[in-house]
Amino acid sequence: MAQQKITSASTKLTELLKLQIGNISQTIENEGQNIFGGSNNLLGTDEITDFCIEFLQLLVALLESRDPHDDASPQFHALEMYFNNLSKQILVRGGRVEDLVRYIQFMQRTLIEALDNDKKITVEDARAILLFLSGIFNELILAVFQAYLDEKERTIYAQEAELRETATPITEIWDGVLTLPIIGTLDSSRTMLVMEALLNRIAKDHANAVVMDLTGVKNIDSQVSHHLIQMVRAVQLMGSDAIITGIRPEIARALTSLNIDLSGVTTRASLSDGLKEAFRRMGIQVSHKAG
Amino acid sequence: MAILGLHLTQIGSGDFLLEPSRSLNIRDQGLLIEQIAERLQQARASCLYYDLSEQALIDPVYYAWLDALARAGQAVNVRMVCVHMQPTAAFALARFMRGTPQFETALDISGWQKTGQ
Repeated sequence: MAQQKITSASTKLTELLKLQIGNISQTIENEGQNIFGGSNNLLGTDEITDFCIEFLQLLVALLESRDPHDDASPQFHALEMYFNNLSKQILVRGGRVEDLVRYIQFMQRTLIEALDNDKKITVEDARAILLFLSGIFNELILAVFQAYLDEKERTIYAQEAELRETATPITEIWDGVLTLPIIGTLDSSRTMLVMEALLNRIAKDHANAVVMDLTGVKNIDSQVSHHLIQMVRAVQLMGSDAIITGIRPEIARALTSLNIDLSGVTTRASLSDGLKEAFRRMGIQVSHKAG
Repeated sequence: MAILGLHLTQIGSGDFLLEPSRSLNIRDQGLLIEQIAERLQQARASCLYYDLSEQALIDPVYYAWLDALARAGQAVNVRMVCVHMQPTAAFALARFMRGTPQFETALDISGWQKTGQ
C-alpha cells in the first residue's frame, strides 16, 4: 500500500515535471543567476543553465527508477554526487554554504509551487509528493554539508602541512651541514614531526652534521628535554653529528635540575660556535681573505 | 666459507662489510657471532661495517643482535660501525634505546668515521 502511494506520487511528480519543465527550469535558472552569477562570479551563465538542465534530468531519472525512495539506488547516488561536486566547485571559488543550501530550498519550493498549477492533483497525492520531496532535498542538503566539511578538512590539512613546513625550517647552511632553529615549545607530536623531517633530510642530503639551535626555546620541562635527547640520539644513529647551541642559562639550570645526561651531546654557546665546531670536525677551515 | 643469511666481504686491509640478507635468522645469533668472529680473526680485521640500508625498522630484538655482535667484535678487537641506517630505523631505535650503543654509526663507509658517540 505504502509502495503504491510512493509510486503514484513519483509518477504524478514526473508528469508534472515533464509538463512544466520549461517554467521550472527557467525559475531555478533565474535564481541561480541571482545567487551564483553576475557580480557574485561563482558560476558562469552557461554553467548555471547546464546545472539546471542536468539537475532536472537527474531528478526525472530518479523518479522513473524502480524505487525513487531508495537512497542507495544509482540514480539517487548520481543526484547526490552531482550536488556534492557542485558544492565543492562553489566553495573552492569562495561561495558560501548558506547560499547553496538556500538555493536547494528554493528548488524544493519551486517544485512544490508547481503542484498548485496542476488542478488534477488530489490532497493525498500532494501530501505524498511533499513528503517525497522533503526526503530527497534533506538528503541533498546533507550531501552539500558533507562536501563543505570535506573541503574544510582539506583546508585544515593543507594549513597543517604548511605549518609543519614552517615549524621545521631545516637549512643546509654548508655542504653536509644542516641547521635547525627550534622556536617555541617541543611537545611529543612536534618532536616527532621535527625528528621525521630532520632524519629524512639527513638521508637525502647526506648531512654529516646537524646544528640544533635552541635560542628560541623559552622553557623546558622533563618531557621536552627527553624529546631533545631522543632527537640527538636519532641523528647520531644515522651517522651524523648533532651539536646543540643557544642553551639559555635558565634552560641549562632546568636541565641540571631535571638530571638530564648531556654527556654524549656536543653543546656550544651560539649558533656560530656550533657551525665552527661542525666545520672543525669536517676539516673545513673558514678564514678571512688574505690582504 | 659462506655464512647463512649474510654476506661478509673484505673491502680493504682490515675492513669488512657485512650485508645481511632477508634470510638472516638472528635467533641463531650465538652460532652467527661465532662464525663472523672467526672470519674476522682469520683476516686480522680491525673494522666491521654493518650495512643497515635494507633494515627499515630496528626493534629491541634486532638491536640486541647488533649489540651482541658489537660486543663480540670488541672481544676480538674489531670496531663495528653501522652504516646506512634508515630514518625510520633511527627514529624507532632512538625511542626505546637507553644509554650508548656498543657500535659506532656513520652515514656510509667512506663517510665521517667517528670514535664513540
